Amino acid sequence: MSVAVLMPIFGDASELRPTLEGVAARAGELGGVTVFLVDDGSPVAIERADVPRCGGFRVVLARHVVNLGQGAALETARALALAEPAFDAYVTMDADGQHLAEDLVRVARAIEAGADVVFGNRFLGDSNVPAGRRALLHAARWFERAITGLRLADAHNGLRGFSRRALERLAIRQNRMAHATEITQRVSRAARELVIVEIPVSVRYSRATLARGQSAAGAFAIVHDLFDRYLFGEPE
Amino acid sequence: MNLAAALLLALVFGLFAYDVATLRGKGRRVLVLEALVFAGGAFFIAMPDAATRLAHAVGIGRGVDFILYPAVIWLVRESLLGRRRRLEDQAKLTEVVRAIAVLRAETIGERDHGSSRAPAQSSGSSAS
Repeated sequence: MSVAVLMPIFGDASELRPTLEGVAARAGELGGVTVFLVDDGSPVAIERADVPRCGGFRVVLARHVVNLGQGAALETARALALAEPAFDAYVTMDADGQHLAEDLVRVARAIEAGADVVFGNRFLGDSNVPAGRRALLHAARWFERAITGLRLADAHNGLRGFSRRALERLAIRQNRMAHATEITQRVSRAARELVIVEIPVSVRYSRATLARGQSAAGAFAIVHDLFDRYLFGEPE
Repeated sequence: MNLAAALLLALVFGLFAYDVATLRGKGRRVLVLEALVFAGGAFFIAMPDAATRLAHAVGIGRGVDFILYPAVIWLVRESLLGRRRRLEDQAKLTEVVRAIAVLRAETIGERDHGSSRAPAQSSGSSAS
């Protein structure tokens, strides 16, 4: 099978090479992987030299000239992936080593088996979620249910899988972190036509990833952005 | 004239003088509009009884309410419209940045894997 990995990145690229090497190591197992790596205006640009080379593994590297947000970078990756001949599975994944390559394979296999949308659930996998982050994520879960109607155990997991027909419905207009809720909303609206599953995945936190992750202030920004969308509608 | 009125008048003239100094030739029409609004404000600061008489004439109890109500209505409207314009500008900026990113995208390695499924019928979605 052929797999497209949609991977936004901003800032610290120290985990990028090990993350890509982990994905590259699975490329043969999957049949072939293309990573659509979008640098969201990092202060130090991601270069070709940051990308490992190996057979069956290809990277399309694009760069935003200014920082727009993770949602915007993901949408650019989506646009690049859809412009190519169809892949069997499309998987969104973080570039900071939080997500494991073996979980990428499991998500892709779930799409191959017939799912249209696969959400990763870190609480069922082998994850080292700190207590404070766990509390924030549980609050986010209830918020997502109220906003989208979808009952997900892990609302803001960056590891997700899509079939092509699901990805085509997923135009992301939220540039910043509210894109996670927007994705869930779009999936929810098409729930009658899509096969949606949730599978256990592992999320590994390091000090660096915790420092970058969601905070209470970030949660407020998400609510603010969602309210703006509710008030003013989608940009034309 | 009391101390409060004097301080407010000083603030009005000070702000206007600053804007004149900083805008110079760039926003002369804006300065004219600002001068008219500030002149009206200065008049009511210096002559608060005039505001009260006008308020009574239209059925409002206090002179300050006569000025505050329309000011608040106008400011709320401007805030909402400004926010909408900011979102529209952000969407346009995003489109431009994305177009540049897609144009300049570089490929490292070869795609030697095709889909094992028949190509999907795209509904026309592509770079957005």
